[in-house]
Amino acid sequence: MEIFSEVIQLFFSVENFLAIAVGVVIGVVVGSIPGLTATMAVALALPFTFSMQPIAAILLLVGIYKGGMYGGSITAILIRTPGSPASACTLLDGYPMAQQGHAKKALKAALYSSVIADFISNIALIFFAAYLAKIALNFGAPEFFWLICFSLTIIISLASGSMIKGLMAALLGILLSMVGLDDVFGSQRLTFGSYNLMDSISFIPLLIGLFAIPEIIEFYRKKAVPHIKAKASGAGLAFSELKRCMKSIVRGSLIGVVIGAIPGTGATAAAFISYSDARRRSPNKANFGKGEVEGVAAAEAGNNGVAGATMIPLLSLGIPGDVITAIILGAFMVHGLTPGPLMFQENLSLIYALFMGIMLSSVILLVVGNVAIKYFSLIADIPKPVLFPIVLMFCVYGAYAVNNDTFDVGLMLAFGVLGYIFNRAAIPAAPFLIGFILGPMFEDNLRRSLLIGSNDLSIFVRGPITWFFIALTVGSIALAFYRFLEERRKTQDKASKTS
Amino acid sequence: MKNIFTATCIAACSSALALGVTVSSASADEWPSNDVRLVVPYAPGGTTDVLSRRVADLLQQELDANVIVENRPGAGSTVGTGRLARGGRDADHTILMASPGHTIGAAIYPDLTYDPVDDFVFLQNMIDIPNVMVVPADSPYENVIDFVEAAKEDNMTFSHSGVGSSIHMSGELFKTLTETNLTAVPFAGSGAALPALLGGDVDVAFENMPTVLSHIRSGDLRALAVTSAERSEYLPDVPTLSEIGEYNLDQFITTAWFGLIAHSSFPEEAQSTMREALANVMEREEFLDFAEQLGAEPGQVAGEEFKQFIADDLQRWEEVAQQAGISQ
Repeated sequence: MEIFSEVIQLFFSVENFLAIAVGVVIGVVVGSIPGLTATMAVALALPFTFSMQPIAAILLLVGIYKGGMYGGSITAILIRTPGSPASACTLLDGYPMAQQGHAKKALKAALYSSVIADFISNIALIFFAAYLAKIALNFGAPEFFWLICFSLTIIISLASGSMIKGLMAALLGILLSMVGLDDVFGSQRLTFGSYNLMDSISFIPLLIGLFAIPEIIEFYRKKAVPHIKAKASGAGLAFSELKRCMKSIVRGSLIGVVIGAIPGTGATAAAFISYSDARRRSPNKANFGKGEVEGVAAAEAGNNGVAGATMIPLLSLGIPGDVITAIILGAFMVHGLTPGPLMFQENLSLIYALFMGIMLSSVILLVVGNVAIKYFSLIADIPKPVLFPIVLMFCVYGAYAVNNDTFDVGLMLAFGVLGYIFNRAAIPAAPFLIGFILGPMFEDNLRRSLLIGSNDLSIFVRGPITWFFIALTVGSIALAFYRFLEERRKTQDKASKTS
Repeated sequence: MKNIFTATCIAACSSALALGVTVSSASADEWPSNDVRLVVPYAPGGTTDVLSRRVADLLQQELDANVIVENRPGAGSTVGTGRLARGGRDADHTILMASPGHTIGAAIYPDLTYDPVDDFVFLQNMIDIPNVMVVPADSPYENVIDFVEAAKEDNMTFSHSGVGSSIHMSGELFKTLTETNLTAVPFAGSGAALPALLGGDVDVAFENMPTVLSHIRSGDLRALAVTSAERSEYLPDVPTLSEIGEYNLDQFITTAWFGLIAHSSFPEEAQSTMREALANVMEREEFLDFAEQLGAEPGQVAGEEFKQFIADDLQRWEEVAQQAGISQ
């Protein structure tokens, strides 16, 4: 009872409420600007939190984190320019929806699934933190290796159309992900002696180039694109549509929670895994990638499910799972607090007050998101001849802002050309991205496992978690193969009937 | 066509707005006559960045001029540092927060375009963070001697946060000095490396103090030694490696240092103004509190002494890099 009143006292202050609201607004705005990521915003906001009360300080940063996670989807949907890496998956269906005049619907689907995923993620943080943290500690390099293997099998389900083209794209992605320094020996790979390439190819210029630039090239090549006449870009999201997506949203949220709880995987991978899982199960499989609302919902659920869950290893183990939580850890320390098991004993009321704030941030995200959609969706109605030059400016600015480096602008334009070739040759971009994101994780964990196990291969089957993911990987490949045979049989049947 | 023209005009105008113009507040006759740029050669969010922002905030009050933090990450810290070394128009108002990456980077990148010692002036060492040699709580090794003896028999592993980090190089230095069988296992940052240590996948790590302090206090990790010259006030019962007195470990003194440097053309007047301002910053309570929360100790050296410290640090890492076969 005593602790209850203490928590209430700690939490109910104007400063806390303001901090969350301001944080979410900053996050949504910054997240929606290509090249400005939530990570940067959190880092820049950190010095301002030094003089604040600890709870308000942390809540401001958490607010930016959550707002940024959602904000990235806005420009992904509207102008095919992902505001943050994690929203790259959202544009696969979000942008086609906007083109068909359903921008508002896509934005709403992204918002609602973000909020629901965020909520589920928070619940997991509050009730299962200790349990999930234990799983995270049992998740070593070999377990990680099999998780990535399983995730790589999703390329099969995303390579819609031509399997060969999909695999080609994936391999190109893996090849490009190898540019940079070797993780074990530190030697240079595919850098051609360029210092700019030593830190590997920056992800944001790659994303902007791959998606936004081809649209612009296409526009000027054709000189005219039919402008969609729709008031404030179409209708919102009907309840029945949300209900239809609900299963994918919940599954995506849970995928996000598990991936967020394991340090070092990240929201981008979660979004792609959730998306492909939804696609695999959906009756509207063929519509994915062409403007399927469930695709937007699943992708956003995946990346927002991560947000609350990354706080699990942070709060219960003192381990930051990504750069943002590392900054938040810094904020804790500046206020004399050290996250970890001891904090649950020494500052329990503070943790509960923090949990209340984190829950509230989901509600505020819903409100702020709705207001943002109202104004942002107007962008979809701007005539393309006016919009595209501005988009191009943002592309250049966004690519430059990542490292304050003009080299990245060149990189972005080069990927623009690659993206254009992809479009022309009907090569899907999703497998390329997955290869680029998961390729290094696959390699690093393979080599890490071998180093830990002194080259003894038995480390790859060392426990139940490895077996679980081996089973999933084998099952996933078998299922894909079965479907492939099934389809071939069907087309053969059809062919024999018609002849 | 008209549309495209209008659009280009809009784009041009918005670009001009976006780029903006910085207006200086200080007067022109004495240094600083302009805004001071503090370059962070790493991405936002790391220790160097957080420290720089804190220092910039306090320095601003001391200098009565704007101190603008600018991140220039890439290739360890060598991209940002290389830019500073090239000098240029703003070199007399640009400072950079250097860290072990300055010397380690120079030791492992063969084709650096600058000299890490002679191309710079060294203003002030701001803080030092010791590394701690830690093992998991259920590890059988209670002290450094036990560990070294076991590592001479069996192959052991240590985790680190990336090739060329002070955490990595400390492990390599330990391996070289004690002639043990240690294998480096790389992770992407300390956040990812820590679970491997806590879960017992690797045998030992030479982590930064702030990263592991709470785990040592909670009993999840056991500290065998600290790497600084003196025992740390945060872990007074833990010996220093140089105290061990065996296996050449008396030569093992290293800390993660963070300090401000500038281009060699940095004016004399600016140097003295900066040193005075930085000395004031380091006496301020906000700074000392901040250092304490990082588990850091305020830096000891400035000026020529700082330069000598860097030169020694560089020489040591060059030797370690050569023996460990790390070179890019």
